[in-house]
Amino acid sequence: MTKQSNVDPTMLWPKKYNEVPKEVFERDELWPIELETIFYGEEWHPIVHRAEIPNPGDYKAAELGEMPIFAVHGEDGEIRVFQNTCTHRGTSLITESSGNKKELECPYHRWLFNLEGELIGCPNSRDYAPGFDRKNFGLAKLRLEEFCGLFFVTMSDKTPPLKEYLGENFYEPLSRILGGDGRLKLIGYQKVMYDCNWKAYCDNDGYHAPLLHKAFSLLNWQGGKGVQNVSENGHLSFESELKIPEDITALEDGSILDFKGTTTSTGSIVQMQFPVTVYSKHMDMLNIRYAFPKGPKGIEVHYAYFSHEDDDEEMVAHRIRQSSNLLGPCGLISMEDASVFSRIDKGNKTPGNAIFQKGVEDEHTLSFTVKQNDESGNLPRWEHYRKRMGFERSES
Amino acid sequence: MSTVSADIISQIEQLNRQYISALDSLDMTAWLNCFNKKGRYTFTSEENFRRNMPIAFMLDDCYERLQDRVIQVVDIQSDSTEHYQTRHFTQLMAVSALDNGQYQAEFNYSIYYTQHDTNQTLILCVGRYMDVVDISDSVASFIERKAVTDTNVLPRYVAYPV
Repeated sequence: MTKQSNVDPTMLWPKKYNEVPKEVFERDELWPIELETIFYGEEWHPIVHRAEIPNPGDYKAAELGEMPIFAVHGEDGEIRVFQNTCTHRGTSLITESSGNKKELECPYHRWLFNLEGELIGCPNSRDYAPGFDRKNFGLAKLRLEEFCGLFFVTMSDKTPPLKEYLGENFYEPLSRILGGDGRLKLIGYQKVMYDCNWKAYCDNDGYHAPLLHKAFSLLNWQGGKGVQNVSENGHLSFESELKIPEDITALEDGSILDFKGTTTSTGSIVQMQFPVTVYSKHMDMLNIRYAFPKGPKGIEVHYAYFSHEDDDEEMVAHRIRQSSNLLGPCGLISMEDASVFSRIDKGNKTPGNAIFQKGVEDEHTLSFTVKQNDESGNLPRWEHYRKRMGFERSES
Repeated sequence: MSTVSADIISQIEQLNRQYISALDSLDMTAWLNCFNKKGRYTFTSEENFRRNMPIAFMLDDCYERLQDRVIQVVDIQSDSTEHYQTRHFTQLMAVSALDNGQYQAEFNYSIYYTQHDTNQTLILCVGRYMDVVDISDSVASFIERKAVTDTNVLPRYVAYPV
């Protein structure tokens, strides 16, 4: 990539694998390169679950890097993702975060597209340039793959097929977060802007030590046995047995922590997909966290919550009150995470390296063997990032 | 819809002042005292409300949940939160009478926050309160306060009720 020549050559990565230079969170000039090599590169990005746009004409706006895109459910039942731009002069076509349309009309010169993205109307086209052919002016479609109803896009033709890219250790637990068969129903969103670099978000939301959670200790609620799987391309999947005490005395209404699922052995799954997406299934909460970096500073996170099509009324009601009160930017559990994102970002304005410790057996080797509560599960992602960005590792 | 007396309106406004005063001084016991034993509190986005999606930012659907909201703010999250001072500005938009001494009220609100570590003042969220108020023995209390925020993307995590 030509833009890599802009990288400050003094940005040498530390020799030790467990050290990450704090300036990587703070240097604005990295963002255009991250866009090119990561967000527009050989990575898959989840955009929409079918449950979010269940009917023909339903659409959802999103961003890939800085590029506006939208997903739309076609009359033919297919879901497609397009760049949010008229193929004539570039006007954006979708101006709401979600909605339903029968067709997509550009207000500027009234170019009209169907839900499958074909240009079906353009007034006064007899006066157009000689080479104009309506067939060549359909909406720009992104490469798309589906897994359990979740649709992923990539800007590169070279990105490996989705399942190969995610790996079985990742997509198998993901299928359980997505209800096992992907037959989900959207029950709502929580959206928030976190005041940190996108890498500070993904370094800390996917997995962090349970020590952070005062809520856990107050509720006498500590994790059971668990595993952490990491992949060379930076995905991390964490799964643990659920251990909730029978009697919760710290709260007046302990029912908020009830687990109505069938097995506690997989009661808790948290996954971090490179570069910025977190998926989780805590107790009965099914959650996708779509994340949209807003340049080098700030990341907008959309927590989408789901129930399953087979849930009875009681289960849906339970998922709603559990999801609303435990996760997200005000949640009993995850508000503590949120506070750490911006505090880390503030702290990273100091010199030196962030140094990972727990689970690091040899600072000079990258290990993919990670125990349940090790923070070293983040290190393969940093190595993947370093390579994507073309940063040299220091010799000394 | 019957006419609502000036007295009733005054009591509803007084309850609202108690509520925002409790939050601006972060007195969670005073906040809880604005609700009666049937009280419910919801803080949700306009997007969820408009699309009839039940997920909220905060969903205290019974009095015990309101009590737990106090526990969360006071006992659980106080050491990790970047604390901030709020100022709530409200305007009563409508009041109508329901049955049994109950009233429906709607206030617009805008909330500023000043984060302690930056001392900058920004807008936390803007929206409307949709209330059901009980007035018994000249005392007003919330059966329901639903804060629906136009600010669909919150500018930061929100540590206290709004």
